[in-house]
Amino acid sequence: MLENSDIVVEALCKVFKKGKPDEVRAVDGVGFSIRKGELFGLLGPNGAGKTTLIKCISTLLIPDGGSASVGGFDIKREPLRVRQHIGVLTGGERSLYWKLTPVENLRYFATLYGVPRKVIKDRIDYLLDLMGLTDKASVRVEKLSSGMKQKLSLARVLAHDPPILLVDEPTLGLDPYFARFIRDFIKNELNKKLHKTILLTTHYMDEADELCDRIAFMNRGKIEALDTPDRLKQSMPQKQTLEIKCQGTLEKETFSDVREAASINISHEDGFVYLRMNTDNPEVILSSIIELIREKAQIFSVRVTVPTLEDVFVHLTGASLKDG
Amino acid sequence: MWVIVEEVRKSFAILFAYPVEVVFWIFSPLLWVIPLVFQGKALIGAFSSTPFGALAGTDEFIPYVLIGAIISTYMFSAVWSMGNSFRDETYYGTLEHILSAPVRPVYILVGKGVYNSVLSTLFVIVQLLICVFIFGLEITLAKIFPIFLFLLLLIVGLYGIGFMAAAVTLLIKESHGIIHLFEYVLFLFSPIRYPVEVNPITKTISVFIPLTYALIALRGLLLNIDFNFWKNSVILLGIDCAIIPLGLFIFYKIEKRTKTRGTLADY
Repeated sequence: MLENSDIVVEALCKVFKKGKPDEVRAVDGVGFSIRKGELFGLLGPNGAGKTTLIKCISTLLIPDGGSASVGGFDIKREPLRVRQHIGVLTGGERSLYWKLTPVENLRYFATLYGVPRKVIKDRIDYLLDLMGLTDKASVRVEKLSSGMKQKLSLARVLAHDPPILLVDEPTLGLDPYFARFIRDFIKNELNKKLHKTILLTTHYMDEADELCDRIAFMNRGKIEALDTPDRLKQSMPQKQTLEIKCQGTLEKETFSDVREAASINISHEDGFVYLRMNTDNPEVILSSIIELIREKAQIFSVRVTVPTLEDVFVHLTGASLKDG
Repeated sequence: MWVIVEEVRKSFAILFAYPVEVVFWIFSPLLWVIPLVFQGKALIGAFSSTPFGALAGTDEFIPYVLIGAIISTYMFSAVWSMGNSFRDETYYGTLEHILSAPVRPVYILVGKGVYNSVLSTLFVIVQLLICVFIFGLEITLAKIFPIFLFLLLLIVGLYGIGFMAAAVTLLIKESHGIIHLFEYVLFLFSPIRYPVEVNPITKTISVFIPLTYALIALRGLLLNIDFNFWKNSVILLGIDCAIIPLGLFIFYKIEKRTKTRGTLADY
């Protein structure tokens, strides 16, 4: 399996403020391998160590222990060869020169990444066309929308046509339309059509579930579980999830005496509180749960669903993906 | 090679995106010269002074000071430019993206240094034209080659110092204080504004500063002061041969340290 792998990580460690009282083990003995052409997800809350791991793999950080190879090249011994084989995309807007046009940005980065002079113009035309930015070719980046900037960042990453992509929170801060475009592009164009090997980090459960062939749950610097999204969900001991949407103030401790409920998770979204708990008998516990909530919050809806990756994450780590 | 060309092109494109900055670069050589002229006139009451000539080898105070100021501006702008280049990239948000490219960061730094040298050269040409037409400085074609030789020897050494300044910026994120200190030390101990022969301490310490040899040579050429061409050029070449590897060594050591500590893109 390792021979067919583009990324191999073994017992990788990265410790910040080593030896000090506030020492942080950002990456703590992590190991996994990613097959050629695989779309592999690292799912975890903010501060789980995902970005640190990506920085180690992209040679921007030197790990304190363990090893990793990318495209067959060791990240410590052959950093320049590793960089020839990767493209790094990060979320957020500041990865381009805002005072330059898309063409000027792409020409600069293509040169930096060693694209031959003869093909740079054709490559830029191709990438702008691919991203639907041809009509913005001569407009300064500062005039583009956030979504267009992220499209251009994606074009920048593809300038040297790398076989391996490290994609860190690619839809962070984007509106739903552009987030959908970026997700579809990663899955359909980059992975399925161009057969890129992709390591994607995200804290959006739906994004990981939709895009990834396999997912590693990362929490506090460690990999807690690694499998396909379906198998991860099937691994839950309880096969159903009770979700109650309400408004008010809820605490986990309120439901600690409900014996048939597991992995209780409370999250906040759009002014509502979502209470989720895994159970095999939602109809049995429903009345007692409603009784416990009634005094503290107003209930808007109740539904029974199958467990999501978020539920599995809560079950395995006790933490929520929205923590951090 | 193309990385350096593209870095220069990018830097000029960013400069031209700020029109006021361009206006500054057009007019500042003239504005910069006038106070020096007034200063000279006020101090010695004329453009030449015999006591000054006894120390400096030329009676012409103002051309002497102008050459010192021009060359030191050239020098400090290169050190500032290279020293702050990675800090600018941090502000743009592009530092990690250029450092994850399969190219040694030194080429990017050299590109930034070349951009600054081109800009400074244009600046210096305007300043020299002012010196020629207003102060009667003689620049013949025969002098052009040796002038450029010494400027080149100076610039190469500057790139070594620039690597060190960039390394300091990577490490402590703010190099203004250290570069200012570097400037003040050079102003004190090398013959930028006055002949270092004015006291024995500055004269002794100036021997260890490369700018001293460049200034002796360039003043010798431009003001027809006797100087040892070969001695000054060989010393500068020797300093270049030492300072470039030293600058690279320090830069790579500090780059590795920031990658280990995880502070590469910190502000």
